[in-house]
Amino acid sequence: MPQSEEKAKRARVLGVIASALVLFVLVPGVIALGVAVWDNRKYFLISILILILSMLPFFLSFERRKPSVRELVTLAAMIAIGVAGRAAFYMVPQFKPSAAITIITGAAFGAGPGFVAGAMIAFVSNFIFGQGPWTPWQMEAMGVMGFLAGLLFYRRDGRLPKLVPLVIYGAAAAFLVYGIIADTSTIFTANSQVSWQTLLAAYSSGIVFNLIHAAATAIFLLILARPLLKKLNRIRVKYGILEA
Amino acid sequence: MAHIKIEDLTFSYPNSGFNALESVSLEVGAGEFLLVIGRSGCGKSTLLRHLKPALAPHGERSGRVLFDAFPVEELPEREQAARIGFVFQHPDDQIVTDKVWHELAFGLESLGLSKERIRLRVAEMASYFSLEDMFYRGVDELSGGQKQLLNLASVMAMEPDVLILDEPTSQLDPIAATEFLSTVKKLNTELGLTVIMSEHRLEEAMPFADRTAVMEAGRITVCAEPRETAKALFEMGSPMFRAMPSAARISCAVRPGDTPALTVNEGREFVSRLSPEKKSIPLPALKKPAEAPLLRADGLFFRYEKDGRDILKGLDIELCRGGIYGLVGGNGAGKSTLLSVLSGQNAPYRGRLTLNGKRLKPRFSAFENRIAHLDQDPRTLFSAETVEEDLYNAAASRNEEGAKERVLAIAELMDAADCLKRHPFDLSGGEQQRAAIAKVLLTEPEVLLLDEPTKGMDAAVKEAFGKKLLELKETGLAILVVSHDIEFCAEFSDRAGFMFDGSVSSENSARGFFCENTFYTTAANRIARGFFENALLTEEVIGLASE
Amino acid sequence: MRRDAFNFVHPAVSMLFFLFVTLITAFVLHPVITGISLAAACVYYIMIKGKKGVLFCLSFALPVMLLVAVINPLFNHAGTRILFYLWNGNAVTLEAVLYGVNSACMFAALIIWCACLTSVMSADKYVCLFGGLIPTLSLLFSMVLRFVPRLLSRIRRVSAAQLGVAPPIGKSPVKGVKHGLSVVSVTVSWALESAVNMSDSMKSRGYGLKGRTSYSLFRFDGRDLVLTAVLVVSFAASCAACALKAVWFRYYPSIKFTPPGFFPIAGCAAFALLCFVPVLLNVKEDITWRILRSRI
Repeated sequence: MPQSEEKAKRARVLGVIASALVLFVLVPGVIALGVAVWDNRKYFLISILILILSMLPFFLSFERRKPSVRELVTLAAMIAIGVAGRAAFYMVPQFKPSAAITIITGAAFGAGPGFVAGAMIAFVSNFIFGQGPWTPWQMEAMGVMGFLAGLLFYRRDGRLPKLVPLVIYGAAAAFLVYGIIADTSTIFTANSQVSWQTLLAAYSSGIVFNLIHAAATAIFLLILARPLLKKLNRIRVKYGILEA
Repeated sequence: MAHIKIEDLTFSYPNSGFNALESVSLEVGAGEFLLVIGRSGCGKSTLLRHLKPALAPHGERSGRVLFDAFPVEELPEREQAARIGFVFQHPDDQIVTDKVWHELAFGLESLGLSKERIRLRVAEMASYFSLEDMFYRGVDELSGGQKQLLNLASVMAMEPDVLILDEPTSQLDPIAATEFLSTVKKLNTELGLTVIMSEHRLEEAMPFADRTAVMEAGRITVCAEPRETAKALFEMGSPMFRAMPSAARISCAVRPGDTPALTVNEGREFVSRLSPEKKSIPLPALKKPAEAPLLRADGLFFRYEKDGRDILKGLDIELCRGGIYGLVGGNGAGKSTLLSVLSGQNAPYRGRLTLNGKRLKPRFSAFENRIAHLDQDPRTLFSAETVEEDLYNAAASRNEEGAKERVLAIAELMDAADCLKRHPFDLSGGEQQRAAIAKVLLTEPEVLLLDEPTKGMDAAVKEAFGKKLLELKETGLAILVVSHDIEFCAEFSDRAGFMFDGSVSSENSARGFFCENTFYTTAANRIARGFFENALLTEEVIGLASE
Repeated sequence: MRRDAFNFVHPAVSMLFFLFVTLITAFVLHPVITGISLAAACVYYIMIKGKKGVLFCLSFALPVMLLVAVINPLFNHAGTRILFYLWNGNAVTLEAVLYGVNSACMFAALIIWCACLTSVMSADKYVCLFGGLIPTLSLLFSMVLRFVPRLLSRIRRVSAAQLGVAPPIGKSPVKGVKHGLSVVSVTVSWALESAVNMSDSMKSRGYGLKGRTSYSLFRFDGRDLVLTAVLVVSFAASCAACALKAVWFRYYPSIKFTPPGFFPIAGCAAFALLCFVPVLLNVKEDITWRILRSRI
C-alpha cells in the first residue's frame, strides 16, 4: 500500500516540522513575551506553564500516530532501562546513563519517540527520586535530547549511526541542552530576577555538574551505543518491529 | 458441528526450507479438552498460533482454519480477540501492566467495555480465581504460579469460547503446575469451555484430556483418546512413548493388547491384578564413599538481614567427586539460597565450608576454587553475539592458550557444536541449557551446582541431558542438582536429600531416599508400592512385572 | 504514619487540590499567603510522614532556601532602604533581602507540597487521570512501571550468575566495568525479548482495536463532589482577592501592601481553607472515629 505509506510519511514529516516549530520558535517566543509583558517576576509559573505547553505537541502526536504494539513495548523496555540505570548509579551525582539511553532510543526509534522516551525517563525516575518543581524541566531537557538525537541520527533503513558523532553529540547535548535547561530552572525556581548576572552565576555554578554529566553521557554512549543499537536491530530484523 | 476445524494446513517459515506444519487436519468439538503433545520444536506452538490470527507467524501457508465453520481470519478482529483466549509459556512476560486489578481489566479495556461492565467482570474473575487478596498489589509481588493464574484470569475475563494454552506450566514448580492444570480442567467442565493445550507434563495433564494429538515433525501422527494414544504410540514404537505417564508405559509394555492405564490409581490396580507375589529390589548398602568429600558444609546458618529469619539453619551437606547429588524440596525451603552460599555469593554467619579439606574464606571466589553455579535461566549467562564468542571468553578466562580447541571439544561433548555460530537467544531451551553448561565447563570446575536445570525441557531433551550429566560425573566432577523434578533426580542422581526449613532433613542413596518418601517420589514408585518394593523407575517396574 | 484520609479521595480531586495550591503559592508572592501555604504543607506532611519526614524534607530544602535568600540581594539592587554596600559598590537593600526570604519560603512550601504530592499521587492515580485522555502514553507509563522492578531484580540475578562463573573482580576497575557492561548487555537482550513476548500477549488480548476504554478503581462519589466544590470556591475566592488587590504585596521599588481589613482577611481565610483541606479531612475522620468508638 504505497499510498498509505506516502500518507504516513507526510504525516511524519509534518509532525517533525510542527514539533520543531514549537520547540525552537514558539517556546522561546512565549518566554520572551512572558518576560516582556509580565514583568512582575512570575517567571517560575510562566516557565512551568510554557514547559507543559511545549511538551503537549510531542505527546499528542505520539498519541495520534498510534504506534504499533511492538514499538510500544520495546520503547517501554528502553525507558525502563533508562530509569533502572539512573537508579543503579544513584550514588554518583550526575553520573547517570539515562541521557545516553535517551539518545540511543532517539537514534533507534526517531525524533518523536525519542522525546517521549526522554520525558518519560525523567518523569518515572522521579517517582523514585521525588517529584518537584524540577520535574517538568528535566522532562523537557531529556525530551529535547532524545528529539534532537532522532533528528540527527535516526535512519529509516536501520543502518547504525556512526559512533564518534553520536558520542560528540551526546556530550554536547548533555552539557548544553540539559545543562542550560537545568540551570535555567534554578533561576526560575528561585524566582530571582532574570539578568545576565544571575544567568551567568547559575551557569557557572552548574558547570562542574554539567561536565560530569557530559562525560558520563559520552562514556555510556561510547560503550553502550553500539551493542544496544545492534540488539535493537536484531529484534527489528527478527520480529519486524519499527516498520511503520 | 466441529467448533474448530483445521483443514490441510501446511506452513513454512520464511527461508527455512522445510515445512513447520505438514498438511495438518484436526477437528475440535465444542467443550472438548484437546492436549497437543510432541517434542520441542515439533510445531506445536506454530500450530496453536495459527488458531489465533493476531499471533499467526509470517510465512508460506496453505489450508484453512475454520472457527464455527467460518475461516478464522474473516472473523471481525474484536471477536477474534474476545472469543479465542491464548495463554503463553512465560508467566512474567505476558503481564502488561503493573497492578493485578489493571491486568485483569486490560483485555476488557481493549474491547472498549464500559467502566461498570469492566468492574463487574474484574470482580467476578478476582473472586473465581481467588485473587482477591492480591487485587491491589503490584504484579511483581506474585509467585510464578499466581502470575500464571492471573494470566489465565485476565484471558477468561474476556469470556472466550476457546482457550488455547501453549505449555502454560513449563516454568512452574510441580505444585503450582498441578493447581494450574486443575483450574483449567475446572473451567473446561464448569463452563463448557473448549480447551486446546500443549504440554510437557503428561503425567498430570493426560488424565484431564478428552483427546490427545501427537505431533512429530510438523505432522499429526496420532489423534485419539489418551489411552488409545498411548497404545498407538507404543505400537508405532514412537519415541514419544517415553513421555507417556508411567502407568501407561507400564501397562502397555506388560500387556500390549489391553487398554492401558493412565493414572497412578489405575496403574496400581493394573499391577495388583498382575502379580500375587511381592517382589523387591535390594536396596544398595549405604557405603562410605572411598575418598573424603570434595565440598563439605558443616552446620551452615545464613540469613539475609540481621533481624531477618534464618534461611539456612544448621545445614550439612557433602558432595563427592564423581557423584550426583539430587536435592529436592518445596518452594521457600532455601534451596537457591544454599546454592548462593555454596558458591560464595553469600557468606554464612555460622558454620564452615571446606573444599578438599581446606576451609573456605567468607565470600570466596567460586571461580578460583573451581566451583561453578548455574542459574535456572541459562539466558543470564550469555553476553556475546554468538555462542562461540561467549564460550571462547569463558575458556580464555582460565587460560588463553588452546582456548579455541577446548571450545570445540566441549561444544562437541555437549552436542552444541552446531549452535556455535548462532546468537544465544535464538537457541531453543534445551540448546541454551547445553550451551550454558558448555560455558560453565570451560571454566574447568570441579564442583558443578545446578539450579532447576530441567525447567521447561521435554522428556527426550531431559533424558539426553541426564545422560550428559552421567558422562560428566565419570570425569570426576561433583554435581549438585537442586530441582523440583523428582523423576529426573530419581533417575540420574546417586545420592538424594530433602530440604526443609533451612536444612537437609533426610538424606540417603537416591533409591533409599525416594522409596522411603510417599509424596516426593516417582509415579512408578507410587504405582509399585506394596507390590514391588524399592522399584523407582518405570523400566524397573516393567522388568519386575514381566518376569 | 497514619491512614491518610486525603489519600482515598478521587485522584482528580487530589490533582485539583495540588494544582490550585501550588498555582497560588507560586504566583502570589505575599508573606501571609506564603506563610499559610508553608504552614499547611508542613502540618499535612507531618500528618502523613511524621516529624522525621519534615526534617528530612527541610534538610534537603534548607541549602537551596539559603541560596535563594542570599543570591537575590546580591544580584538585585532595586529598592529604597539601603542596608550596606558590597565590595563592588552595589547596594544591598532591605526590600531585596525580604524578597529573598519570601522567595525562599515559597520555595520550601513548594518542595514540601511536591513531597506530599509524591506520597498521595501514586502511579495508578496518574493512569486513572490520563488513561482516558492519552491512553497510549498512560499504557506506556504503566508498562514502564511494570518493567523497572523486573529489570532491577534481573540485573542483580544476572550479576550473580555471571560472577558465579567468572574470575573475581577484586579491586580492578577495568574488570568491574567489564562485568557491569556484560550484565547490562545480557539484561538488555533479555528485556527486548521479553518485550516481544509481551507484545504478543497484548495483541492476543485485543490491543489496538478501535474504541479502547480506560478502567480505574476510583469512583467519583458524593464526598468528592463536595470537596471539589470547596476547592473551587475557595480557589476562586482567593483568586478574586488577589486580582482585586485585596490581598496584595509589593516589594519594589518600596514595600507596599493592602492594609488588613475585611476583604484582605477573608481572602487569606479562603486560601487557608484551600490549603488545609487535606488536614481538615483527616481531623474530621479522627473525630468521627472517636465518636463512633465512644458509642460502643
